Amino acid sequence: MMAAAIAEIVVLISTLFFVGLIAKVKSVWAGRKGSPVLQPYYDFFKLLGKGEVISTTTSPVFKIAPSIGIAATFFALMIMPIPVFGSVIHFEGDFVLFAYLLGLSKFLMVLGALDTGSSFEGMGASREVTYSTIVETAFFIVIGSLALLTRHFSFETIFASVNLASGFSPLVKILLVVSLFIMLLAEGSRVPVDDPNTHLELTMIHEVMVLDYSGPDLAFIQYTASLKMTIISILIADLLVPPSFSLVAACALSAAIVTIVFVSVGVVESLIARSRISHIPQFLFLMTTLSLTSFAIVAFFLFGVIR
Amino acid sequence: MTDFLVGAALIFTGGLAAIFTGEKVKAWVFFAFAVVAQFFALPPVFGTLLNGGQLVMPICFSEPIGTAYLRLDPLAALFASVTSVGALLTSIYSIGYMKMYRGQRASLSSYFFFVGMMSASMLLLEIAQNAILFLIVWEIMSTSSFFLVAFENANDEVRKASLYYFIAMQAGVAFLIAAFAWASAASGSLDFSSFAAVLGKHDSVSMLLFVLFFLGFGTKAGIVPMHTWLPRAHPAAPTGVSALMSGVMIKTGIYGILRILLLSGIPDYRLAYGVLVVSVITGIFGVMNAIAQHDIKRLLAYHSIENIGIIGIGIGVGMLGLVYRNPLIAMLGFFGSLLHVLNHFTFKSVLFYGSGVVYSQTHTRNMDNLGGLSKYLPLTSLMFLIASLAITGLPLFNGFISELAIYLGLARGLSSGSISMVVAALFGFSGLAFIGAMALLCFTKVYGICFLGLPRTKYHVEPNEKERTLLVPMGILTAVIVGIGLLPWIAIELLKNVVMEFVPALTPDQFVPITGIFRTISASLVALIGLTGLLFGLRAFLLRKRKVSEFKTWDCGYQVGSSRLQYTSSSFAQPFLHLVAELVPQKIQVEKQPVLFPKEASLESHTQDISERFIFRPSIGILNKFLNLFSWIQSGRMQQYIMYGLVFLVALLIWILGIK
Repeated sequence: MMAAAIAEIVVLISTLFFVGLIAKVKSVWAGRKGSPVLQPYYDFFKLLGKGEVISTTTSPVFKIAPSIGIAATFFALMIMPIPVFGSVIHFEGDFVLFAYLLGLSKFLMVLGALDTGSSFEGMGASREVTYSTIVETAFFIVIGSLALLTRHFSFETIFASVNLASGFSPLVKILLVVSLFIMLLAEGSRVPVDDPNTHLELTMIHEVMVLDYSGPDLAFIQYTASLKMTIISILIADLLVPPSFSLVAACALSAAIVTIVFVSVGVVESLIARSRISHIPQFLFLMTTLSLTSFAIVAFFLFGVIR
Repeated sequence: MTDFLVGAALIFTGGLAAIFTGEKVKAWVFFAFAVVAQFFALPPVFGTLLNGGQLVMPICFSEPIGTAYLRLDPLAALFASVTSVGALLTSIYSIGYMKMYRGQRASLSSYFFFVGMMSASMLLLEIAQNAILFLIVWEIMSTSSFFLVAFENANDEVRKASLYYFIAMQAGVAFLIAAFAWASAASGSLDFSSFAAVLGKHDSVSMLLFVLFFLGFGTKAGIVPMHTWLPRAHPAAPTGVSALMSGVMIKTGIYGILRILLLSGIPDYRLAYGVLVVSVITGIFGVMNAIAQHDIKRLLAYHSIENIGIIGIGIGVGMLGLVYRNPLIAMLGFFGSLLHVLNHFTFKSVLFYGSGVVYSQTHTRNMDNLGGLSKYLPLTSLMFLIASLAITGLPLFNGFISELAIYLGLARGLSSGSISMVVAALFGFSGLAFIGAMALLCFTKVYGICFLGLPRTKYHVEPNEKERTLLVPMGILTAVIVGIGLLPWIAIELLKNVVMEFVPALTPDQFVPITGIFRTISASLVALIGLTGLLFGLRAFLLRKRKVSEFKTWDCGYQVGSSRLQYTSSSFAQPFLHLVAELVPQKIQVEKQPVLFPKEASLESHTQDISERFIFRPSIGILNKFLNLFSWIQSGRMQQYIMYGLVFLVALLIWILGIK
């Protein structure tokens, strides 16, 4: 548990680095030099030192939302096992708390957006919650497949035994990893679901929700967003790193996987444009389909239909 | 037991006494009786709930009923506790809320009379274990609530809604009468305990009986597709009654289903799957339709349907656990559903009470006319927010605990050895997640549109919450919401005996792991609150020397226009409703002047309930056609009616003589 706590602190510190990595990949891909990889850290500390402009329309919900968001995401990270190290908080059914803590953070952020009374921000909020209905359902199907496969009901024990489970074929592995990657793109508001770079588009989701935040609150929000992405990328690492690895090898492999995931996000963003709003649900339903397929494969395998 | 009956009688007498008192004291009289009633009703109820066992009392009626047994077992006690407290809270709420209706002496009298009657009948219903007595009390409950729904009967809409409600209740009770008659005939007794022999047989009769009971009780509970009365009746009733109906009365349907289940012993596996699937559909359908509503009370009514679905999912999981002889799954399922009964009572009542505060101050229930209420009604909006988070099932509050238990039961179902169970468990698992995500959409909409932002239309009188009696019941329930959310093991102590009634194979130490889980959760959540406080403090610390200015919403620099430009509830729900357009069909009417620069335009959207459109309207149409074939019997001519009488007498004569 102590080791897990230290590992999670490392994640807390390094999370902004990965956001910088995405930007760097995109710049290099476009043939630019780009901003330094540590730029998100500079931005973060700069914002912490700024004052704020708060809309007169708002209520206390607006002010407290970023703090709750960051705290809830922090505890979601505490539930998330780091490969080989395990997690700080674990109990049977902890994945429900994990998903619902992210839900709590989302609920408050959406209220924060609606609190400004702006139709722009309402639009983003409405889209955010709409798409999360698809993603959340698919996420529970992913968890369902893993629970079926391992017969465990806690993140830590699920991921400790998933690589040893006999039904965990490479096909299932690929399907689950791709599902989680789609979830990362959706929850992290990245292309093709959302474009974090366009600030004045009617088509964006997450960025438009936070238009009226400034100063420390904005720093909190940006940190929360990057932490959320890192958490999902660690989920992918959890799936792939076998528990038999030594400490050093596991650390190296997980760091490599997380890096690859974020580089892939950058590559995806360089290669394709954001989808039309009406096409986003179709993209997200892909996650549902993939996770259902993996569930079916696991079930068929366990009940002897496939051998 | 006598105490309990005295409690029920006191609530009824309170309503009766209110008729004869002056207008201003009616509510206080009813309140006084309701308070005293608690002292009689609650001790036996909590005694049974915490210590187990049951209280029995036989009452001798004249022949058709015979000796009727009143039994207060832990299951009855759970529902009775909710009923009793619900009646008290509504009596407090009515003190302030019914001031609106002063000057209508007669209707105020009828309000308190019928509230008393409805609460007392619900209390009796939960202990009556004789088929005829149960049906009589059931009808008293339905009828008294009908009069309450019809309270504002000068309004055409209300009259229609109350009649619709009345007919739906009679249709539901028809199933119950058939089921009870059949069960009594087959068992040779009217007493519930003798039904066990018939219901526990696992033959086609017991299956059919269960289905009949499920349809009858399901109509009351609001199981899809028999739910169509809910979204009409709840908005029509005065708010205190809406809360009582949604928080307590529809639960009598759940109580009925559970009672029958208790008598059935280990259910048939087909029934267990059936209940699970119907409940998931109920939950999804309820919340999907809720998202489409503009009327806040109608929206809450659809949410009751959703929560009945969640309760039903828990019951289905419990039944599957019994079927597959897995006491742990059964325990989790029943525990989750019973706790959700209690939880739904708390947060749904707060939400209804809150919507009543909003209605009494703004005189509108249309969300698209509201906005910015948190500035005028800070306490109401805080409690409404907590209840919204709780109904969404988010951690810190009680809704999370009951949903977690059901999730755990479903997850354990995934590890069972049966492929049908695995598929059903995944259906429930992902269904519950889908319901939760949609509830998040729905309640960010309700809270965000009504309480945040700016008023969309100007309030003629500035809303205020000077009427403190409206806030007291909300405050009490909010405390329970937070209490169960942060100290969830209290719920185990409370519900242990009820769960063990359903799962006899369970030993008390099988609750220990769950208690351990709850303690971990509780510790994490307290830490979460602490961390939030710390971060908020850090924010204040960072800002202490910085300039914090207030300005209009920046909105990318676009600051023209009025508060009408804000996102409305319809626009907020539109992207989602577009996705599910087949399931929640919307009629959108746009009116625009056909000129180049139209000055006025209007857009209206209406949602249709597909079960009404595709099931009830066509079937009622067919029924109408069929019954019209006999309309010549009722011709309106006196001579013809006299002839009927004559024919009947002659036929009777022939029959009697023929027998001899």
